[in-house]
Parts: sequence; C-alpha cells; structure tokens
Amino acid sequence: MGILSLVVLAPMVAAIILLLIPDRSRGLVRLVSILGAGVSLVGSILVAFRYDLAANGVQMAEKLPLIPRMGIYWHLGVDGWGVSLLLLTAIIIFAGCFATWTLQERSKEFYMMLLVLVTGVFGVFVSLDLLVFFLCYEIAVLPMYLLIGIWGSSNEVPSGGLFKRAMQSFQVGSKSYSAMKLTLMLLLGSALILAGILGMVHHAGSWNLLDLQETQFPRALQLWAFPALWIGFGSLAGVFPFHTWSPDGHASAPTAVSMLHAGVLMKLGAFGVIRVGMVCLPEGAEFWAFAVGTVAVINIVWGAMSAFGQSDLKYVIAYSSVSHMGIVMLGAATMGVNGLNGAIFQMFAHGVMTGLMFALVGIIYHRAHSREVFKMGGFSERMPWVGVFFTIAALSSLGMPGTSGFAAELLVFLGAWEAHWWWAVPALLGAVVTAYYILRVARAIFWGPHTPGDYPDLDDLRGPEWVAPVILAGCILLFGFAPELLIQFIDDTTVNFVDGIQTALAAGGTP
Amino acid sequence: MIDAALPLPLILLAAPLVAFCLVALTPLRKTGVFAAQVVIAFSPLSLAAACLLFWRQLGDPTLVDTWSISWMSTGGDSLVQVGWHIDGTSAPMLVVVGLVALCVQVYSVAYLHDEPPASMGRYFAWQALFVFSMQSLVLAPNLLQLFMGWELVGLCSYLLIGFWWRKPAAGKAAVKAFWVTKTADGALLLGLIVLYSLSGGFGWEAGALSTKQLNFVTGLLLLGVMGKSAQIPLHIWLPDAMQGPTPVSALLHAATMVAAGIFLVVRAWPLFEGAPITLEVMLWVGSITAFLAACFALVQDDIKKMLAFSTCSQLGYMMAALGAGNMAAGYFHLTTHAFFKALLFLGAGALIHATGSMSMKQMGGLWRSMPGTFLLFTVGSLALAGIFPLAGFYSKDMVLESLHHAHAWGPLALLMAGVALTAIYVSRSLFLVFSGTCRTPDAHPHEAPFSMMAPMVLLGALSIGAGFILFEPFHRLLGVDAQFHWTPLGIAGLGLATAGFGIGYWLSQGRKIAVLAPAAALIRSAPLDRAYETVWNRVLLVSGRLVAWLDRYVIDGAINAFGWACIGLAKRCKKLQTGRVDHYLGALVGGAIAVILYTVIAFSVWGGVN
Repeated sequence: MGILSLVVLAPMVAAIILLLIPDRSRGLVRLVSILGAGVSLVGSILVAFRYDLAANGVQMAEKLPLIPRMGIYWHLGVDGWGVSLLLLTAIIIFAGCFATWTLQERSKEFYMMLLVLVTGVFGVFVSLDLLVFFLCYEIAVLPMYLLIGIWGSSNEVPSGGLFKRAMQSFQVGSKSYSAMKLTLMLLLGSALILAGILGMVHHAGSWNLLDLQETQFPRALQLWAFPALWIGFGSLAGVFPFHTWSPDGHASAPTAVSMLHAGVLMKLGAFGVIRVGMVCLPEGAEFWAFAVGTVAVINIVWGAMSAFGQSDLKYVIAYSSVSHMGIVMLGAATMGVNGLNGAIFQMFAHGVMTGLMFALVGIIYHRAHSREVFKMGGFSERMPWVGVFFTIAALSSLGMPGTSGFAAELLVFLGAWEAHWWWAVPALLGAVVTAYYILRVARAIFWGPHTPGDYPDLDDLRGPEWVAPVILAGCILLFGFAPELLIQFIDDTTVNFVDGIQTALAAGGTP
Repeated sequence: MIDAALPLPLILLAAPLVAFCLVALTPLRKTGVFAAQVVIAFSPLSLAAACLLFWRQLGDPTLVDTWSISWMSTGGDSLVQVGWHIDGTSAPMLVVVGLVALCVQVYSVAYLHDEPPASMGRYFAWQALFVFSMQSLVLAPNLLQLFMGWELVGLCSYLLIGFWWRKPAAGKAAVKAFWVTKTADGALLLGLIVLYSLSGGFGWEAGALSTKQLNFVTGLLLLGVMGKSAQIPLHIWLPDAMQGPTPVSALLHAATMVAAGIFLVVRAWPLFEGAPITLEVMLWVGSITAFLAACFALVQDDIKKMLAFSTCSQLGYMMAALGAGNMAAGYFHLTTHAFFKALLFLGAGALIHATGSMSMKQMGGLWRSMPGTFLLFTVGSLALAGIFPLAGFYSKDMVLESLHHAHAWGPLALLMAGVALTAIYVSRSLFLVFSGTCRTPDAHPHEAPFSMMAPMVLLGALSIGAGFILFEPFHRLLGVDAQFHWTPLGIAGLGLATAGFGIGYWLSQGRKIAVLAPAAALIRSAPLDRAYETVWNRVLLVSGRLVAWLDRYVIDGAINAFGWACIGLAKRCKKLQTGRVDHYLGALVGGAIAVILYTVIAFSVWGGVN
C-alpha cells in the first residue's frame, strides 16, 4: 500500500468510522469527515511534490492482486494528468466538507455518502486497471441518487411543449425527479462504457490500462467502441444532447454535492473519454474527432445561451458548467498538445471555479431563501465578501487573465484554431456570451440599491464558511498568475500521449 | 548607466502591485485616507523608475532593454513569456501613465473625502491595480502580455465605473463598458491566435507574413482596438462610463486606458505597417469618429459627456494619423491629449465638486469664484482646440500634415471640419461655465483645495509646454526625423479653430441654428445606443430564452418522453404478469408445444438444428 492508496482510501476509512459514531454528535461527524478529506488533500499535495517531472510515464505505481485469475489488480499509479486531477478532487472535497457546515438533517449519512463518492473519484484518476477504473466510476456516480434525493431541494417547472404529456407524468424539477433522471442517464451511459470496455478487454486479453494503450486494436472495433465510450463517458461530461441531467441535478443538489459534481464528477466523464477513449483507441478517436469537436462547440454556445436565458441562480451556474465542459471536450477533440493541455487545465480551472460558484450560491440561497436572481439586488451591502468571491469566480469563468480560466481557454482556443479554424470562432463567441450572463447575474445580485426588508437574513461569511471560498479563490488566482505551476505536470504527459497517438495512427495507416 | 544595479522595470511594476496587495488584502483598506496615502506613496517610486527609463532612452534612443521568463509552456516549449521590453516606443507611454496616475491619485483624496473609509480604500486599491495593469500592458515584450494587461485594465475600468455600485446607472454603465469591450476583445484574442498559428509566436514582427495574412490579423486586432479606443460604432460605452468618479474618467477614460488601443497599434506597428487594407479602414474609421463624435460633443449639456465625446473624437484623430501611415503623429497626439484631457477632466471634477451639478446649463459665472480652475480649464480647452503654441496645436498639426502627406483628402476634410467643431464645443462650454452669472441659485461655488489644484497646475504646465518641448525628443525616441514647419494647412487649421471660438461664443448665448435643431435632437436621442439596446433585448435575450426553452421542452422533453415511453411499455408488459395459474399453465403448455414443433420441423426439413 502506497501513498496513492492512502489518498484513495482515506475518505472510505473515514466513512466507515462515521458508521460507528452516533448521529447526534454532529461536531465529531464533521471532524472525522474533514480529517478524512484532509488526509487525502495532504496526500495529494505530497504526490505532487514527490512526482518527478523529469521522469516520464506512470509513477508511484502500486499493484496488489484482487482477482489474479482474471487478471484484475488493485493497480494504481499517477501521471501528470492524474496529479493535477487528484489535487483538484482533494481541494474540492476538502472545501466541500466546510461548505455544508450548516447542514442539520442526517448529517452523518450525508458525509458518509460524500466520502464514499469521493473515494470513487480518486480511484478513477489513479487506477490503471480498467475494471477498478469502472467500479470507481460507478461508486462515484451512484451515491448521487441518495444525496440529491434526500438532501436536495425542489423547484417547480411547468409542463409544456411538444412533450407535455410526458412531462406531466413526472414532477419535473423536484429533487426526486432530478435524482432519478441524473442516475438513469448516467447509468445508461455506464452501460455503453461497459460495452466498450468489454470489447477492448476481450480483444486485448488484459484489464491493464497500460497494456491497453499499447495494444493495436482492429479498426472496426475502434470505430464502434470509441463512440460508445464518448457517449457513455460524455453523458457525465455533459455532452450535448445528453447534458440535461446536469442543470436539474445541480440545481436540486445540496451545496457540497453541486460543488463536487460540477467541480469534479463532470471531469470524470471528460477524463474517461480522453484517457480510455482517445489514448487506447486513437484511430476511432481520429475518425470521430470531428464529431466530438463539433458537438463540443455546440455545447459551448448552447450552454452559454441557455445560461443567458435562466433566471434561477443555480440553473445559471449549472448551464455555465455545460458550456465550460464544452471547452474541455473541444480541447480534447483537437487531439493536439495545446488542445489537450488546455482540456486538462480547463478541467482544473473549471473545477475550482464552479466549486467556488456553487459554494457561494449555497450561501446566497441559504440566506436569501430564494434563487430568483432578478428579484435580488444590493446584496453587497450585507455580504460584501460573498460579492468579492463571486466576482473572482465570474472573472475566471469569462476568462480574465490572472485567473486560471484564461490560461485554459487560451490553450484550447489555440488548439481549436489549429485543428479546424471554424471551431475557434463560435467557441470564442461562447466565451463572450459568458461575460454577458455572468456579469448580468453578478450585477443583479450584488449591485444596486439594497432593500433590507425583503431579505432579512443576509449576512457575510462566518466561521467555517470562509474556508471554501478562500481556498478555491486562492487556487483560481494562484494558477491564474502562474499557470506554469500546474501545466508543468500536465505537459509532459500530454506530449507522451500525443506521441503515442501519432505513432499508433502512423502504424495503423499502413497495415 | 543609471540602472547598472537597479532593475528599473521591476520597480516600475512592483510598486503598484505591492501597493495593491497591501491595500486590498490587509485591514489597511478600512483606514480610508491612510490607505490612499500608502498607494500614493508607492506611485512616485513607479513614476521615478519610468522617468529614469525615459531619460536613459533619450540618451540612447536605439537601446532595447528586454527581459522575459516563461509564463506558460506547452509541448516542452515556452508558449507565453512575461517580462518587459523597454524601447523608444514604450518609454514615453510609461511616463505618461505614471505621471497622470500620480496626479489623479493625489487629486482623488480630496475629491472623495466624503466617501466612507472602506470605499476610499477600495478605490485606491483599484487605482493601484490599474497602474500595474496599464504599465504591464505598455512594457509588454509580446502581444499576449499586452492582451493580459489590456483585459486587466478593462477589469479596473469595470470596477471603477461601478465604484458607486448602489446607483443603478453606475452598475449598468460598468457592465455595458465591460460587455462592449469584451466583445471586441473576442476578436482581438482571435487575432492573436491567428497570429500565433501563422508566425509561431505572439511577437509584433511581421516576419514572413504575407500582406494578405497581415491584413487579416491586423483587421481582427483592429476590432479590439476600436472597442477599447471607443471608435464608432463601438464607442457607445464611453459616454456611459462617465458614471464613474471624475478622476477615474480623467485617468482611465481619457488619458490612458482608452488610449491603449492606439498604443497597441503603435506597438504592433510592424504588423500594421504592412497591412494596407487595415490602414485604410483605420483612416476612415478614425476620421469619421473624429468628425461625428465632435458633433455629438457639441450638443451635450453634461460637461463630462461633452468631454467623453471629445475624447472619442480625439482618439479618432490619432487613429486617422495611424491609418495615414504616420505612427509618430498618432502617438504624439496620444501623449499631448493625455495631458490636456486629464487636465480638463480634473477641472470638470473641480467644477462638479463646487456646484454639485454636471450640467453646464446649471453653471455660469464661475470665473469669479474659481479663478484658478478657470485659468487651468481655459488652458486645457485651448490646447484641445489646437491653439498655438499649446500642446494640442503641435500634435494636431502633425496629424493633419500626415493626412495631407498621404493624400487622404476625404478624411482630411472630415478632420478639418472636426477642428472647427472642436473649437466650437470647447468655447461653448467655456462661456457656458465661466461667463455670465451662476444659474444655480443656492450654490456657493468655491475654489478647489490645494491638493486638487496642484495636480491640475502640473498638467496645465504640460498642456502648455509638452508640444514644443517634447516634439524633438519624442521623435528622436521613435527614430523618426521630424521638424515642425508652418504650413498653409497648419494656418488654415488655426484659422478654423479661431473662427470656431466665435461660433462657440454665439451658441453659448442660447442661440440656436434652427436648421440644425433636428440633427441635435437626433443626436441627443442616441439612436445607436437604442439600436444596441434593441439587439440586446430583442435578439440576445430572446434567443437566450428561446434556447433555454428548447433545452427544457424539446431536448429534455424528448428525454422525458423516452422515460415515459419506457414506463408505458413496462405497464403494458406488466399485464403479462397476471398472477393466475391457468394463464401461466397455458403459457407453459403453449411454449412446450412451440419447442416441440420447432424441433420436429427442424429435424424433418433441415435435417438437424445445426
């Protein structure tokens, strides 16, 4: 057992310890959860420091037999991508534990679910065994059903349109509906992933991801398995038109869950597409790259325009995630160094940005008891720091230099222009629309005259609530001012994978 | 060498950044005037470094002091570098920014003395951040760092326009400024991306780029420039930006930030020089802006809006000079304009401070109670109108000469008309504000305190002298051989300006030219603003709502319908599960018969199941 197992299993151990703690001792529950997340955070930072930038390939590998007869191992290891995404996950879960400080109802079970979920997320980013990878993926997705279904909030959506009868049969917007839709759509995606994975493993005879990326799969298999993985993983990454679970899910979910889900889980999807789909199935990826990129551009514009049309704060931020995940997928679709660097960087940048956004939205909702943006106003009067942090997140999302969003978008747009020039133009327009909707919302909430009567409970950040905004805004600014700190991890790995893809394509072209 | 041991550019950048961090991140921010003093204490440090750099550059105009480190690398190579590049082009701008910023900061303390301490701290934090951003824009070693500074000054502009965020109009103006410039910046960023893909870097050397490529790249850059430098039709944010405190208008929206667009063209001159189509467009955009914005300024009663349109108009002059291929003329006009327009805004601030009104119709007769301001405002106005021997005369003459030289007769005619119009609106405002009697009965106008007057005096001196003192050294820095000559064009311009003063006096006496009244009414109704508003409300917002509706009711609706269909199907299938033994038995027997039949047929017809 090495440091990676520690990072992955610490939250799980904390969740098991929580089982033994009575529900009423809420302070202890929080302490244990924060300790669990904290161990992972410290471990992730250690991993980053121990990661040898000069050496290539997978590091800190560990391998224990699980089902050796079937070739299944507890096989972990990190590359540069893994390091940055481990850091992201650890930062978000640590901040998330603080963001749900005020939760009263069944807090023990809540934190248990959260920790189990994050174990799965860590597992996906570091496991080198495809079965463990898939299991962790499922562990990361399933607790969401309970987390939203039990601790979520509802919102009424009137039925209408072409499918009015279908909508009438569900309580669209309620937390049980959102939880169900999210779970079912993602499970359907999982089914596709499983099909793709089984096809790959059947051909290669190994579950080992490192073996799989060396294997030359037949073209026919690549051509069907890649889209299966793309749509399967992509549904978690919010790929159009399978993104509709995300706005409802994020809007209904409690604060920490939205943070984790938009901040990290959506990245699992994109990571899966890149790490399993593109790296192992380069020919399939090349064949489908055009579709992936075009859909990603649709994502960017569609998400931004939808966010523009919302008046519910959580929906605005949720649709902005759909738009920003489009940037990740666009970077991936370029299959070049700049684009892929940008995709991974954007995963991190969007993770901390949207984590901060949802943390603040939770605080605003908690105090204003409303999410109707355009009925708010002048909140800076009573909660100036929330306004400051919201502005920082907003600036990152619209790609202001000095925030991490800019470095990421720059890389992706560069890559997109090099791949297909007309991908870059609507993508840039989407980024401009982001400035429209996010500043419109920021002004509506925080600026203007304040009417104290309507919102009696407004108050600035207090005690533990400071932790999440400070950590996340700090990351936004740190990696915005010095992107090299992060890109140094990402770049070598990207170059390796792109080289591998190019070699495989060159070999595949002349069979 | 002066800087053998001192990394001057580092001091130049670090001083405002440290001041910003000190004020923004520590409780110092709540101390108000003390926070202001901290920021002001750091400013001379930065200015001194700028002056030393300028001095060194004068000693050796060909000197290039450049240094950079990698900011972000990709594919093993450095993609973006940050650092500095001090040469004859960046050195003068550094001094302009440092000097005007110091003047404005000193002035602001007294101007904002009524603000609560925390607001004052916030204001000065943004001021320091602005100076840092603007200076890193100016001394950028490549266009990407320039772009980063560009976006950051845009952010400062947004924050400072919205300084009085409780006022709905200020919030509206702040986001409007950000949106318009950000939209233009989208094109600018695209231009940089294209430049990178063509030349493999963000440098401003034209290298092996063809004329067609240069036209394309600079055309995209030009869109960004038009947004930042408020050229028609992207100027609409600038008049609204006057919602910010007046010193902010002086520094950002007159002297430096809006001139960043012009500076970009100057900086990237090797690219623009080789792009004839872009230059032609600049020539026309600039001269049309110079003319139309002067017309707009003529009908304003709000003193700040008048000055804002005047800024648009003067930026048009610079743009036109650049378009005519004379970089030095455009840049020189930028420099002198920074001094006299900052002076005019600070003077306007003193007037607003004294009378509590922004409308020139409410002022009047102020020369008696505010003689100092009167004198300085007059100096600024004369410089703006281009009266010999003030600063504006020399630079404007250069601009006109460069158009004459380029044989651009149409634009030259527009600019000459602009000269007359400028003199008209300038003298109209002078007479409205200072002559006659005060039209606000209960006002007790008083002279501004010393700390507001001192910066104005300094800027006033520069507005008088910068023209003939800086003329020679400025051109030497740029490596341009230029001499000032009296030409018929210059005399004609002077004559037009003088005539304009007469008409301005006549207009200030409440006389109207009946024929032009409809035009004035049309300008006042701001048709372009309303057109944009219509696009915003009717097109953008509506399509946002439409997309949101489609997402909810069509795409998500289809997914709901899929779920609903599954449930429906399941409900049908559920009926097979009746729970009655006879049904199950029947199905069992039926199934058995089917299997037997299949086996028999299989054996008899195909001779086996295989």
